[in-house]
Amino acid sequence: MNPLELTLGIMTAVGGFVDISELVFAAKAGSTFGYALIWAFVLGTIGMSVFGEMSGRVAAIAKQPVFNLMRHRLGLKLGLVTLMGSLISTLITCAAEVGGMALILNYLTGWPYPLLALLSVIALIASMWILPFKWIERTYGLLGLMMIVFAVALVAIHPPWAKLAGGIAPQVPPGLSTKELLNYSYFIVAILSAVMFPYESYFYSSGGIEEGWGAKDLLTNRVTCTVGFGLGSLLAIAILASSAQLFGPINVSPEIPGTSALEAATPFGKAGLLLALLGMLFAVAGAAVETCMSNAYAVSQFFGWEWGRHAKPSEAPRFTVAWIAVMLLALLIVLTGVDVMSLVEYAVLFSIIVLPLTYLPLMLLANDKSYMREHANRWLAKALGWLFFVVVTAAAVAAIPLYLLTSGGGG
Amino acid sequence: MARKLLLLLLTLASCSKGPEADLQYVSDARSVAAEWALVNEQAAHGKLTRTYVDSMHQWLRQQMQTDSSSLSQPKSAYAAEIAAVLDQPDDAAPAQLRSYADRLKQIEDSLESA
Repeated sequence: MNPLELTLGIMTAVGGFVDISELVFAAKAGSTFGYALIWAFVLGTIGMSVFGEMSGRVAAIAKQPVFNLMRHRLGLKLGLVTLMGSLISTLITCAAEVGGMALILNYLTGWPYPLLALLSVIALIASMWILPFKWIERTYGLLGLMMIVFAVALVAIHPPWAKLAGGIAPQVPPGLSTKELLNYSYFIVAILSAVMFPYESYFYSSGGIEEGWGAKDLLTNRVTCTVGFGLGSLLAIAILASSAQLFGPINVSPEIPGTSALEAATPFGKAGLLLALLGMLFAVAGAAVETCMSNAYAVSQFFGWEWGRHAKPSEAPRFTVAWIAVMLLALLIVLTGVDVMSLVEYAVLFSIIVLPLTYLPLMLLANDKSYMREHANRWLAKALGWLFFVVVTAAAVAAIPLYLLTSGGGG
Repeated sequence: MARKLLLLLLTLASCSKGPEADLQYVSDARSVAAEWALVNEQAAHGKLTRTYVDSMHQWLRQQMQTDSSSLSQPKSAYAAEIAAVLDQPDDAAPAQLRSYADRLKQIEDSLESA
């Protein structure tokens, strides 16, 4: 294991962990329920680490991408339904990320939002076309590390650490009305969905195959998924905790993503603001790339097309057309004028519904000794896998009723 | 069974009209007024860039206008309160904006308990 590669991998995972949905829901959760939802981020991160590690291991040993598995394990009919659900939810997520990029660029430049959405998509397509796979991921992940300013800002505002630590334990805050309880439940579902977005494991495992992972990479995979995702999650928790400290007491429940940047501006002024905005920009841009490529991976793997950025665009023409089309469709959605916050809501809602169907075949294959040999799931991975499968299934069942009953967490 | 439950929920969700249906917009408007106050306060302390402040004003005002036009009771006390916030200049005093946010919070609480 090359220590430099490992460090870069972890840093990339940290910088690339947060996306527009986590930004929005962390800030809203903190201002609305104080520290009481930190545990939902912790739970989601453990779940993401479990399935991320599994998908990376399957990629390294069985060399099987998620959608190839899905077709074989779920059958063509259910596989197609899952594929369609995944494509729609990931496309909406991609549009939310592109809209988020345009918004953040608007805070930085003041240029018109539609023009910035167009320029963002051009820049993203150019970077995906030019950069080799490893550097696409690293460029955005490493630049996204500027988000660390949120963690430093949290320390600088001296939060009540004991209360904050108390948020790690699963809880229902006392004295909530029925309406507030429904809202709290909606936030739990939304946070789990935002942290465990299905595109993350499609991208991660497909990336493993692109980079030619083998058994020698299993330790890197495990460390990246536990340490990298864990540290990345701390950034989302820092946003939540700062929001609880700064926004909750003054009735602010961030209605636009730009408000979160005030968390860094409060202790550090303009330098903090700029670092926060730039960190958010690159983190969201990285997520836009991941969602776009995930959709191209999904459709190419499902139909057995040549896929991957390791190949020249002309060597995998349908894959290339697919990712460019996804990015252009995302732009089209943004240009209709639909609100970014609404896109985030829909992305989270659709993703959680698809989540169980994408994790089940992955888990079954990771359990299967005929494919995975001595690297098949052992008792701990099996137990955690089934536990989280039950959690995401329950969240998927509750998602639509909670969304309707709470008007999308609005009350 | 699941389909019936979903239909029931959809019906329930679409039935709410009047002040109860407006609650989410009042809640949004309360937060927007408070965010606006916070932006102006931080800007007064020289902690924000001019471009960020102008952009935030534009988006917050747009959000407030959306909330205002979504209300089912345009002649209610809360509609008047939201209209009063919209009449404020971009660089309104934070204390003034915060007082609107506080009043909207009171209305929100009373709607919630009704």
